[in-house]
Amino acid sequence: MKRFCPAFFCAVLLVSLCGCVTEHEHDVVLTGNILVDGPMMVSNGPPNDRVLWEYRTAAAAIRQGDDQLAKQSLDDAITRLGGIYGPDKSARKARSYFHSERVKNFIGEPYERVMAYYYRGILYWRDGEPDNARACFRSGEIEDSSSEGEQYTADYVILDYLDGLATTKLGDDGSDAFARSLREAHLAKPPPYDPNANVLFFLEFGPGPVKYATGEYKEELRFLIRQSRVRSARINVEGQTVTIGPWDDLGFQATTRGGRIMDHVLKDKAVFKTGTDIAGKVGMIAGTETALAGLQSHNQTAGEVGLGLLAAGIVTEIVSASVTPHADTRTWDNLPRYLTFTALSLPPGQHTATVEFLNEVGEPLPNLTKTVTINVPAGKQDKVVFVSDRSATPLTI
Amino acid sequence: MNLSKYRSAAINLALAGLLSGCVYEKETHPNGVPATEMRPDEAGFVSGTGIESQDLVAVTDKMSRSILGTPQIANAQGRPCIVLDPVKNDTPFPINKDIFLTRIRVQLNSKAAGKVTFLARDRMEALEKERDLKRSGQVTAGADPNAVEFKGADFFLTGTLQSITTRTSAGRSDYVLYVFQLIDARTSEIVWEDSAEMKKQGLEDAAYR
Repeated sequence: MKRFCPAFFCAVLLVSLCGCVTEHEHDVVLTGNILVDGPMMVSNGPPNDRVLWEYRTAAAAIRQGDDQLAKQSLDDAITRLGGIYGPDKSARKARSYFHSERVKNFIGEPYERVMAYYYRGILYWRDGEPDNARACFRSGEIEDSSSEGEQYTADYVILDYLDGLATTKLGDDGSDAFARSLREAHLAKPPPYDPNANVLFFLEFGPGPVKYATGEYKEELRFLIRQSRVRSARINVEGQTVTIGPWDDLGFQATTRGGRIMDHVLKDKAVFKTGTDIAGKVGMIAGTETALAGLQSHNQTAGEVGLGLLAAGIVTEIVSASVTPHADTRTWDNLPRYLTFTALSLPPGQHTATVEFLNEVGEPLPNLTKTVTINVPAGKQDKVVFVSDRSATPLTI
Repeated sequence: MNLSKYRSAAINLALAGLLSGCVYEKETHPNGVPATEMRPDEAGFVSGTGIESQDLVAVTDKMSRSILGTPQIANAQGRPCIVLDPVKNDTPFPINKDIFLTRIRVQLNSKAAGKVTFLARDRMEALEKERDLKRSGQVTAGADPNAVEFKGADFFLTGTLQSITTRTSAGRSDYVLYVFQLIDARTSEIVWEDSAEMKKQGLEDAAYR
């Protein structure tokens, strides 16, 4: 039996070595308050999750009226989005058999990247820079045209509509962008531009898509589209009442993004994992039987061959166990489901607006009504009002 | 000593070491990369397809040289007064719009001092406040505070940034056209115009596509 000891020793050693991967822990205790957790995770969390936390922080901040934090978070995230060209070590790792997809630096799926630009555009407009706002809306459309074989490319109604509105307000012709927004409109038809409208309402409601993974090894990325209790919104201000339904559905955008190259990579990983798993099991079974037969018949060669097969089978199993085809399900989890917009004309001065969020039969949902005090300036600059069903209330803008 | 009996175990061990995932990945920059001083006109190792400092430097250098060569400036009687009118950003890149004109102004002031005068129209609010204080006698005045001394513009310097972007699964391509103009404030004539072009392409890792 002594001669079998080295092989067994190796097998035990291999098992003990399996999973010998150094993990860098980032122990950050979360409070549940995104405006606390977000900046903390950006500073102290895993570097590959930085943009994810910046996205989450920005969405929460803009709803609480903390524009400075939202801008700071989005500017850093967008800078990283714009600089992903060329070799990326984390992305290379994510494609390898032995690392999960989630080791790559998170930048999000196209619908998430679009929302980063969308929110930044709103903030630029609020700062009196409609051309930079337009730049963001255009960048959002470009992000939505990046998937392979995508049928529904650059089809956000609101982005094209706002592109055209900004162009019109800058004194140029926004009719092309408006025509595009009409062509893409499925949920609601956007109205023609009112050049006198000086108060812009950006509204959002409903819970956004959530990623999850299916498949034998969770290698298939899927999106959970959650139902929204809110189906429309009603604005009451200075005797004007406007009810608007959604223009864009992030659930639709998430599920019509086309294929990802990473889907093929993960599928390959899954196939490899299955193949090595089967080969490993076959090796172990055949090796065990051969080794036992060798022992029983006192055939030294058969015993050694059997142990070799067994060890090879164990190694192959270890390899199989190390392959990680799991899809990256990190999600910008505080996005809305629906986006919509309207523009009203109000005289300079202070106005109080209420925004009610309505259910499927047009009744206001309790505890969701928001009150916004709007200080409309004299002059040409637009007043930008952003209201979410998760916004703080009352807000003063 | 018969080593042959260890062969199979040794092979297995080596194979396992190679394949089991317990692979030592060489960290290229384990301690990060120290801040590296770069010239603003060179492309750094951190770059995208958008508008960057090297574009700003190249474009504004070209424009300031070109403006000085235009007859209306080169042969002007006296020092023409120029007001900067913010550029129009018609690209998908949010930028600080003032930075192009600021650099052109600085270039012209530093390399052709005396040829042109720039008017600080972006400071009019503070200037008017100071003038009003002088007129009301709250602060001293070196000259008659009621005289109109704010200068009018002879020319407006402005520009437009336009672009074409192509985005496919094969990558992204951005072409940006920078156009600058000098407009006669009296006649609305465009007395000078010049442009610069940049094109950049990039492809992100397949993991992001």
